Amino acid sequence: MSADAILTLDSVFAGYGKMTILNGTTASIRRAAITTVIGPNGAGKSTMFKTVFGLLPVRSGSIAFDGKTVTNFTPRQMLDAGAIYIPQGRNVFPELSVRHNLELGGVALPLQDVLPQRIDAIMERFPMLREKANAQASTLSGGQQKLLEVARGLLLDPKLILIDEPSIGLSPLMVQEVFTILKDLRDKGVTILLIEQNAKQALQMSDYGLVLEQGQTRIENAASAILADPRIAQLFLGGGLPQTAGAA
Amino acid sequence: MASFFQLLVSGLATGAIYALIAVGFTLVWQTSQTINFAQGEFVMLPAFFILAAMNAGAPFWLACLIGIVLSVVILGLLFKFIIVDPMLKYGVLPLVISTIALSLFLKEGAKDFYSSQAQPFPSLVPATDFHVFGIVVSLQSLVVLAAATATVVALHVLLTKTRLGRSMQATAQNPTLARILGIDVNRMVLYTFLINGALVAIASILISPIYLAKFTNGETLGIAAFLAAIIGGFNQVRGAILGGVILGVLDNLSAAYISAQYRGAFPLIILIVVILFRPQGLLGRIEERTV
Repeated sequence: MSADAILTLDSVFAGYGKMTILNGTTASIRRAAITTVIGPNGAGKSTMFKTVFGLLPVRSGSIAFDGKTVTNFTPRQMLDAGAIYIPQGRNVFPELSVRHNLELGGVALPLQDVLPQRIDAIMERFPMLREKANAQASTLSGGQQKLLEVARGLLLDPKLILIDEPSIGLSPLMVQEVFTILKDLRDKGVTILLIEQNAKQALQMSDYGLVLEQGQTRIENAASAILADPRIAQLFLGGGLPQTAGAA
Repeated sequence: MASFFQLLVSGLATGAIYALIAVGFTLVWQTSQTINFAQGEFVMLPAFFILAAMNAGAPFWLACLIGIVLSVVILGLLFKFIIVDPMLKYGVLPLVISTIALSLFLKEGAKDFYSSQAQPFPSLVPATDFHVFGIVVSLQSLVVLAAATATVVALHVLLTKTRLGRSMQATAQNPTLARILGIDVNRMVLYTFLINGALVAIASILISPIYLAKFTNGETLGIAAFLAAIIGGFNQVRGAILGGVILGVLDNLSAAYISAQYRGAFPLIILIVVILFRPQGLLGRIEERTV
């Protein structure tokens, strides 16, 4: 199982300030597959991504990526190692043009000379970006912004994409488009690690699923098996609902 | 009409200096959340560096260069490493209080180590007036206006036409995202502090011939920069430029046409109007709260 794992977490503890969110998370993410992380609010899904990408310190435990220990790497080091992270929400620089937003995605390229060609190739692939190249990123629709974020990440030719709730705020059509792009990348050998609120829909297009609860991995299995697992409904009903009510 | 133009030109010149100070203030705020209440004293001080260098025998141009370099090192680099970095860990408020303390320290320091008397400061150009179609314009005002405009344009080109500048803008707009993309955020923040050090030194060179070099200069200049930044929009460099120019022109025109006694009140009236009707500032964008 671990032979084809590209990312592994071994008893990782992390959180914010005095709050511990990841309580010894252990997981192993398969290479060239789409894995969806599901779990109730506060289970630590986003925290897991931030910790892997070096935005939150690992308090104990270790993380390995592509055969290397990357525990407490900085975001820049993670980029250099071949991972990119697309957080939840809007992640563009609203006052910069689409072209300049793309260009900033290439900051971590080891060979800066290839950046213009890469940008060109990306615009070839996403013609919308070429059309809007000189428009301020703030003028793009939510879906277009998400495409820009994905395209910007692809400039680095990543091996692993951590993408947090890409479908939030997008039209169903746009969600389909984003998912198609992700599947296409998977077919080219890129590993996708995904968080989705709409677990069922996301699992249907995923290869694997990872169920997180209270900062620990409860289930790691093929997506189809998780969809068929009666415990899942229970987890979401038992763990998710009271917390949502409490938060509201 | 003729005097209106004179007032306008000198107002634009003062406004351009305010704009320089406000731009530096805004840049530092945007990238590091530092509300620098010592910004006025930062403008007051380089004039004394220059006077000290001249006392030591340096010609004016060399003294100016030394003043700019010292300002970049002390008010840029050391300010960041000695005060901002250690204090920011404890939050924005302790840092604000530190900059207030720093402003007092610099003011009293200039008084005790140099002089409590206003010092004459050499002008970049001789005090001659131009006569153009019956309008009298002072060469000094024109040179100040030109120099400040050139500085702002140069900064604007750096920020928008170069990738380094855009990385700085990115850091200002969304530091977390900048980090995620691999931008060296710490270095970008440092650059804005160094730029601020250069801007206050240039402002000091331009304004000291008019105001004389005096340890209290920072009081009015700091408030002017603060008001300009709020009026124009705290999160926009071009807002700070607009705010500075409005303030300078308004100051001169209101003193001449409305009331010299109340000249200090007009910027505050504008401030209140802006805060009431456009709290994000004239060119500011509404900040989205992120969770």
